[in-house]
Amino acid sequence: MELRVDKKRLTFAAVIAGAVLTTVGFVLAFLVAPPVLADTTLASGGGAMIGGELIANPVLFSQKIFYFHVPVAITSFIIFFFTALYGLRFLMTKDKAFDTKARIATEVTLVFVVLTMITGDLWTRFEWGKWWVWEPRLTTYFIMMMLVIVYFVLRASIEDEERRAVYAAAFGILAFLDAPLSFLITRLVPSGNHPVVFKVGGGLDAIQVTTSVVALLGMLCLGYAIYQMRFREERAKERIEALKASLED
Amino acid sequence: MDPVLKEIYSLVVPAAPYVIAAYAVLWVGLFGYIAVVLGRLGRIERELHVVEEAVARKGVTAGS
Repeated sequence: MELRVDKKRLTFAAVIAGAVLTTVGFVLAFLVAPPVLADTTLASGGGAMIGGELIANPVLFSQKIFYFHVPVAITSFIIFFFTALYGLRFLMTKDKAFDTKARIATEVTLVFVVLTMITGDLWTRFEWGKWWVWEPRLTTYFIMMMLVIVYFVLRASIEDEERRAVYAAAFGILAFLDAPLSFLITRLVPSGNHPVVFKVGGGLDAIQVTTSVVALLGMLCLGYAIYQMRFREERAKERIEALKASLED
Repeated sequence: MDPVLKEIYSLVVPAAPYVIAAYAVLWVGLFGYIAVVLGRLGRIERELHVVEEAVARKGVTAGS
């Protein structure tokens, strides 16, 4: 009982911390972090052909999207890891609670994946002039989104509770393999158009990294809080069902 | 218009709708979802409390 109260407080603290950190990140992104110059501009005789169009913006105001797009994407990878972890724990123990945890982790992953896709698409539309380009990062992340959706389709298609949990756990573990691939693909296939935001010896300066890290911590707090609230909701539902059954006996 | 301001506006204004839309979707999506989950959680915990009381009353009645 004491532990439950602590988790409630921790969840509340995570919501507050998430709201504060993301707000601080927002302020830093727009008022403190310096603008990013495009690598190739028409003025310097450069420019980039993307989707058949010459793209050249001297200063990337649209880059401000990245201060939240990247943290949301990283949070989606981290929460998806828990789908695989709890899936593995379920297969090892057959404890139903791990199946519930894996399902909720996948649900929260989907929320962050959708937000990543929308914010990324808005950037892509402005910078590349296209809503969608089949380049390695976007493609692997799109596959990840599809796998997360298929996870729920799979669950909905199996009636037997134990079989559903086993199949979902196995699928969740396999689906997660796409996450590290998607994260690393811009490094493995450097010809891709998607920028590598975090890299050794280049990219962001200290204030830009600080802004990204603050926003990331905020997103992680919010992700944790959402997960805990959904888990409490599911446990409460299960308890109500059990109590109602005992009342009918 | 001041040429520096003109340059600044020309850089910011075209991207502004996309940046604003990205942040609007992000905040509304995330905090909207949190609000929905919190509302559902409040309702389900109130329901749980009611059911727990009913079970307790049944236990007292059965015991007396």
